[in-house]
Order: sequence, then C-alpha cells, then structure tokens
Amino acid sequence: MSAETVLTALLPEVLLLAGLLLLIGLEIAVPRHRGAFAVSLLAVAAAAAAAAWLSAGGSSAAPFPGHYSVGPDTFAAKAVVLALAVPVLLLARGEFPGGPFYPLLVSSLLGVCLVVSADSFLTLFLGVELMSIPVYVLVVLAFQREESAEAALKYLVLSGTASATFLLGVSLLYGGSGSLALSAFSTALGSRDVLATAGVVLVLSAFFLKAAVVPFHTWAPDAYEAASVPVTAYMAAVVKAGVLFAVLRLFALAPAERPLVDLLALLPLASMVWGNLAAMRQDGLRRLIAYSSIAHAGYLFYAFLGDGPGRFQAVTFYLLAYGLMNVLVLAALPPAGDDVARDRLERLKGLFQRQPYAAWMIAVAMLSLAGIPPFPGFVAKFLVFKNVVAAGYPVYAVLGLVGSYLGLYFYLRVIQYLFMAPPPPAEEASAAEGEGAPSRLALAATVLCLLPAILIALFPGWVIDRLGG
Amino acid sequence: MSDATVLNLVLYLPVLGALALPAIPVRREDLTRALALAVMGLQFLLTAYLYARFDPAVAGLQFETRLPWIPSWGVSYQIGLDGFNVLLVLLTAFLGPLVVAGAFTAIRKDVKLFHAMVLLLQFTMLGTFLAQDLFLFYLFWEAMLIPMFLIIGVWGGERRVYATVKFVLYTAFGSILMLGAVIYLAYAAHAGSGVSSFAFADLYRTTLPVPAQTVLLAAFALSFAIKVPMVPFHTWLPDAHVEAPTAGSVILAGVLLKMGTYGFLKLGFPLFPDATRLFTPAIMTLSVVSILYGAGLALVQTDIKRVIAYSSISHLGYVMLGLVSADLLGIQGAILQMVSHGLTAGGLFLLVGMIYERCHTRELAAYGGLARILPVYSVFFMILTLAAIGLPTTSGFTGEFLVLLGAFSAAWQQYELGAVQPLALSGAAVLGVVLGALYMLRLAGRLLFGEARVPHQPVVDLALREKLVLGAIVAGVFALGLYPQEPLRKSELAARQYQELLARGVGAGGPARAPEARPPRPAGQTAGKTP
Repeated sequence: MSAETVLTALLPEVLLLAGLLLLIGLEIAVPRHRGAFAVSLLAVAAAAAAAAWLSAGGSSAAPFPGHYSVGPDTFAAKAVVLALAVPVLLLARGEFPGGPFYPLLVSSLLGVCLVVSADSFLTLFLGVELMSIPVYVLVVLAFQREESAEAALKYLVLSGTASATFLLGVSLLYGGSGSLALSAFSTALGSRDVLATAGVVLVLSAFFLKAAVVPFHTWAPDAYEAASVPVTAYMAAVVKAGVLFAVLRLFALAPAERPLVDLLALLPLASMVWGNLAAMRQDGLRRLIAYSSIAHAGYLFYAFLGDGPGRFQAVTFYLLAYGLMNVLVLAALPPAGDDVARDRLERLKGLFQRQPYAAWMIAVAMLSLAGIPPFPGFVAKFLVFKNVVAAGYPVYAVLGLVGSYLGLYFYLRVIQYLFMAPPPPAEEASAAEGEGAPSRLALAATVLCLLPAILIALFPGWVIDRLGG
Repeated sequence: MSDATVLNLVLYLPVLGALALPAIPVRREDLTRALALAVMGLQFLLTAYLYARFDPAVAGLQFETRLPWIPSWGVSYQIGLDGFNVLLVLLTAFLGPLVVAGAFTAIRKDVKLFHAMVLLLQFTMLGTFLAQDLFLFYLFWEAMLIPMFLIIGVWGGERRVYATVKFVLYTAFGSILMLGAVIYLAYAAHAGSGVSSFAFADLYRTTLPVPAQTVLLAAFALSFAIKVPMVPFHTWLPDAHVEAPTAGSVILAGVLLKMGTYGFLKLGFPLFPDATRLFTPAIMTLSVVSILYGAGLALVQTDIKRVIAYSSISHLGYVMLGLVSADLLGIQGAILQMVSHGLTAGGLFLLVGMIYERCHTRELAAYGGLARILPVYSVFFMILTLAAIGLPTTSGFTGEFLVLLGAFSAAWQQYELGAVQPLALSGAAVLGVVLGALYMLRLAGRLLFGEARVPHQPVVDLALREKLVLGAIVAGVFALGLYPQEPLRKSELAARQYQELLARGVGAGGPARAPEARPPRPAGQTAGKTP
C-alpha cells in the first residue's frame, strides 16, 4: 500500500495530529500565546471536512490490516463526531482563552477517531483510553467549585474500573479465541461457551459504564455538573458518541441473540426509566442534561436490538441529532457571574422575556431531545424503534416508548420555565446583573447546531441515505 | 397556478406568516394582529376557492401532491383533499381569521408569540387533516401539542400551567402508544406486501390478522379517544378549556377535538375493520355514555365555560355514534356534526370570552338578565344556544338528526337479527338531545333572562369587530342548517368509501351480518331526504 493511500485514509487523524503537535509546539515556544483556539478550530474543522469528503467519495482501505480500517461508514462517523466538536470549541473560547484545554480536546478527538476505525481490541483500547484520559483532566480544568475535584476523581476511578473490566473481558475472549481481532466479540455473541459469554458481558458492562447506563451511571451527574459548560457539552455529545461507536465496532453486523438480548434491552430500559424519572427532580441544568443523557444512552443501546446493517444508521443518526441538541442547550445557556448560578434551572424562568433567541434555542433543543416532531430527535427515535420492531421485539419497543414518554415532563418543565414563569422576583435584579447576552462565538455555536438540525428535520431521508444501511 | 399548488399554499401560508412576524417591531402590536389576520383571511379565501373547485363526483384525492421524502422507508410528503377532510379543512380555515380577530383585545402579553403560535397551530391542524401519509400525519398530530401547550400555558387563567401540562401529558400518552402502533403497522404492511410505504392508500390494502388488528386499533383508539375526548378519557378537557384563553378554547373545541373523530374516521376504523367490528359494541356504549355523562355534567356546572366544555363531550359522542353505526346517513351526519359543533362551540366560547373580557368572571350566578343590558350579545347567544340544542334550520339539527337516523337504521337491522343493545343505546342517545336542550336553556335562561345584574358596571354591548366575528359564525350555522345538500354531496363518496373499507377484512360476513354491506342507496336520495 502506497504512502499516499495510507495518508488519505488517515487524513482526518493526520490533520488532528498536526494540529495537536502545533498546539504543543506553540505552548512550549511561545509563552502566553493566543493562537490555541484558532489552531484547534482549524484542525478540527479541516478534519471534519476531510472525513465528510472521504465519506462522500466512498473510499475504503485498511492501512493497518487487522488493526485499523476505514470505509464510507467510518468516515461518516468521524465527520459527525468532528463536526459536533466544532461548536464545542466555539463555546470554549470564552472559558478557556488558552492553556491545556485545546491540546487535551484535540487528543481526545484523536482517540474517538481511532475508536471509530478500530479492528482489534488493542486499537480499540488505545482509542478509548486516548479519548477518556484527557476528559478526566478536562473535568477538573475549570476548577470553580469544591465538588469538581471529587467528581473528576469519581469519574476517573469508575472509568478506570471500566477499563479494567474491559481488559478482563478481552482477556477472556482472547483466551477462548486466541485472537485479538474485534470479530472475536461478535463470534462470542453467538457462542454458548461460558467463558465467551462472561467475556461478552464484561466488555459490554465496561461500555455501559462509559456510556452511563443504569446501574453504572452514578458518575455522570456529578461529572457533568462539575465540568464547565463546554466540557459538559463535549462529554454529552462527543464522548458518548465515541463510546457508542466503539460498541458498534464490537457488534459489527452480528445479531443480538437471547439471552443477551434481554441484557441489552433491560438495562437500557432501566436507564430510560430511571434517567427520565430522576431528571424530574433536578434543579440544575447540567444535572438535568446528565440524567437526560442517561436516558438517551438507553435509546442508543436499544438500537443494538435491531438487525446489523440498520444499527450504524440508527446510532449515527441518533448521535447526530442528540449531540447537536445537547450542544445547542449549553451554547444557548446565558452566561452568568459564577458557574453555580449559571447552572440553576430557576434562572431560566421568564428567559423568553429577557432573551427570546436563547429561550427559543433551549426550547427547540428540549423538544428535540423529548422526541417531539418535527425536530430531528423524533426521526432519530423513530429510526431506533423502527429497527427494534423490525427485529421482532415489539414489546421492548412499546416499553421503550413508554419509557421515553416519562421524559416528556421534565423537558416540558424547562419550556414552562422559559415561557410561562415570571422571573424569580427577589433575584430579578441580581439575575439581570449577572446574566449577560451570549457571546458572539456562543451565538455562532447555536447557529452551527441549529442549521444542521433544521436540514435534518426537513430532509431526514437525505441524511439517512448518506448513512448507508 | 395549479390547484395542488394552491393547496400547498394554504398549508404553508401560516408558516410564512409566522416567519414574517419577527420582522415586525415589538411595539407595533396592531401590525402583528393585522398581519396574522391577513394571512388567515387569505388562507380562508384560498380554501373557499378550493372547496368550490372540489368535485363531489370524484372519489379519492383531489389536488394531490406526492413527493418522496424518506424514500428508503417509503415515507412520502403526500397531501390532498378528499371527502373526509374537505369540510374540516374548510372549517379550520374559516375559524382561523375569527380566532385572530376574536383575540384583538383579549391578548395583551407577548402579542407576537401568541400570533406565531396561533399560526403554527393552524399549520399543524391543517397538516393533520391534509396528510395522506401516516408518518406525515403523525408528525403533524404530535407537533400540534407544542403551540397548544404554549397558548394555554402562557395566556391562560389562574391554573394554566397545571391545565396545559395535564393536556399535553394526556394526549402525549395516547400518541406515544400510537407511535408504537404506527411503526408496527408499517412493519407489518411491509412484511405482508413487500412494499414499504406509509401512504394511507397502501395501508388500507393490507389486512392484518385479527389479534394484531385488535392491539393496533386499541393503541390508535386510545390516542384518538383521548383527543375526542370520550368518557373516561375526558378529564383533561374541562381544565384545558377553562384555563385556556378564548382563542385557545375556540381552537380546542372548534378544531382540535375533531382530530380525534377524524382519526377514527380516516384511520382507526378503516385500517382495522375486523377489530372495529369487535369493538363496535364497546365504542357505541362509550359514545352513548359520553353523550349522557357530558350532558349530565353540563347540567350542574356553575362556570359558563365548563358548561360548554362538557357539552362538547356530549356533542362529540354523537359523532362517534354516527361513525360506528356505519350507516351512510350516520357517517355523513357525523361529518356534518363535526363541522356544526366546530361552529357552535367555537361561537359560544367566543361569546363567553367576550363577557369575561367585560366582567372578569365566568361564574354563572354572577349574571342575569343580559337580554336587557346587552341586547345584541344576547341575540347571538340565543342563536348559538339554539344551534347547539339542534333546532331545525340550524346546523346542529342536520348533524344530530342524521346521526340518530343512521344509528337507528343500523340498530334496527341488528334488532331484527336479535340484538337489542344497539337499539337501546340509540334510544338512550335520543335522551341526550333532551338533556342538551335542558342544560343549554338553563345556561341561556340564567344568563340572559331574569333579574338584570352584571358583576361589573358599566358594560358596553358588542363592538363592530365582535359583531362581525359572531355574524360570520351565525351565517355558517344557518348555511349548514338550511343548505346541507352541498356539503353532504362533497362528503358522500368518502362516506361510501369508509363503508367499503369497513366491510372488507378477513372476518367480513355477508350482508346479513354486517349492516354496512347493504347495497348503497342511489346518490341524490341522501341529499333529498335531509331537511
């Protein structure tokens, strides 16, 4: 294979790596430089464009046979993830003028790209760790409250446990099959061997934990709350996408069979129900997003009940719609004096009177996350449940739909705060003082989320066709 | 411009209007109102043009647009007029400008948001009626909740948040199960025919096994029955109506409730004929219970708005009765009754809103002898009261009478086969007419006659704007009451198609078992028989 082919296949990663090296070089060479934002934005946007272009070109290659391969699907997935990172970067400009944020984010993105293309457990592990480790640091980076350190530590320990669980599962699978290829997992799915089943369950549990599926979800609300707004957006949109793509790689096209189907349906179902119920009681927006993301992890894993070819389509579409909307909420959230105040749901009361645009953006995102048409979240949910029904699990589909119904209440409550509640009288003055208009970059981020969302809502068929299946 | 383009224009005009609203300065509330009124007025004119062009002799869709939308699923953007929806579309477009004009003085807060929501609501309602693809239908059906949620929640009364959340949670629960049924139906249709399509026309052709039909109909029916609402799924309605601003009540009673009955007519019953036969006794019973229960509750309310809210439950019970009778007259009567109720209930809610704007209370006990204080208001109130009761020459009579005629004719056939229940239920439904007269006359009597008193002095009689709005509604009421032939003719072929759809299915028996399989009467006779 020629160097050119390898370079083309790796173009998004190469661009990210170049950006990363430049960032580190700048950090060393120029003290207090201000170019980090521009460099990382350029690198990520270029990588996203490259991935989209390669996906449209339909090229596929295996630069490192057995470990790393690319195809239109993987390029599309990379394009989605990298495109989601662009508005996150725009959000970050205000909070992180420079410093370690940008290199960490770019290296985490590099990890996601690695995950998406992984063919062996080694690459997958490398990718997942490269994706996660910078995030532990990102969570503490905006050290604004006491709990941040605690939450980051909790995240680190639990996520580390997940990595250990993953490795244990992989070693069992390796023991059974003698192969480190990812296909060992999908072969083990159909096997009756106890060792293989144990391996599958361990690997799956590790990813349940990383994606915050009940009962492995407890780190998520703390971590989401402790992190600063752009990091929360990054975790909710991109890291979750990375984890789900890892699971997609693992399952490949293998059908889910009983009894695994029940594990694959019941834990996500519990996730939907618990996530949606717990979200009702939250009074902080980021905790609300965290519980909502726990519920959404449930829908996403539901997609694996469907047959192989439809999964990639359903998961990618869902991640796109869900990621855009999560970033949109956090981008539209009006800035405030301190981080704790900014997060309080109460502060959204009567926002429509003060900042109609921000209120609309948050409302659109909430409705989309609730899966109400015509917003993109609806088609995404429809796609997932359609596949579940087509795979022959109508009962699980209905249970899942009822689970999603439970979420409606808290999304509506946010909209009620935005439009129907008067601003809290005692704090009106202070709220107005601390509350600024969103920065220009944050506005740009909302537009970057909103425009694709509108396009998806108007032409879902076009997007679905692009995602193969 | 082709007629299909005009139909699309009708559908998208409100969206264009809503998109133009942000360009108007916030202070220019008059301009906002004028724009909304102009958009609604134009929409009505275009709809009236299409209604005139609608050919009653053509079965099936007219002015159809069909474009692929999600080709891999077989979802298409398909809209068109047919006998099922043409009257309801006309009703929706007719009420649109009246709702906007009726809210000129009542809405003073967030005027732009209000009009944007009313326009979007209009769009989603028309879309629900016009959609000929199940996916598209569901999209509009569910999207409708958002503007209504805001209309009740932002401009409603004291307990508006409670009422609007209750409204959305009730209706969304039905919808979510319907979504499951939609997905399963499309999947089963695909498995059966190999064609993946959400088009109504294709779905009508699939016949599912009876157990599957039963489950699917139950899901669809729950969703529709909540919307109608049928007892026992009605508890959201009084709260929503009472707390909603006048415009919200008018839309709710005038159009939104018809979504439920339209859903049964267009989807629920025709898609699952065998299950419908199975469910008919239960639905008939619930319809009659709704008629009587709604009327009974309307009789004891002390809040004027609640009287009319409960009367809606009763009136829509007739619609359901007509639909399950599967008799041609009954079906046509049901369609007519939908339009008639839209006019009378809409008009009555407008009247309640007007008196509330003047006196700030809806307590029935606070009023008396308005006939002497507000003569013009009282005349309108009396006319609409009589129309709601179903006095001959008004629209209420035609609808209710045809429904009862249809119900009896179907019940009589079953009686001859030995079934007593339908006949008894039809008899009980007649009792509802009596109760209807009772509660409406009680309301009008206490409000308009007796010792003259109003809680707030001085009160002025109707302004020109209000007279025009009410005059339009009264004109509609009489037009439908005196000349029902034209609308009946336009819906006749659809009613026959509905009968045919009900008569198919795996368990369809001979003419002896299924009354709907009777040889159809010659056209024209229907129209001739109506008063």
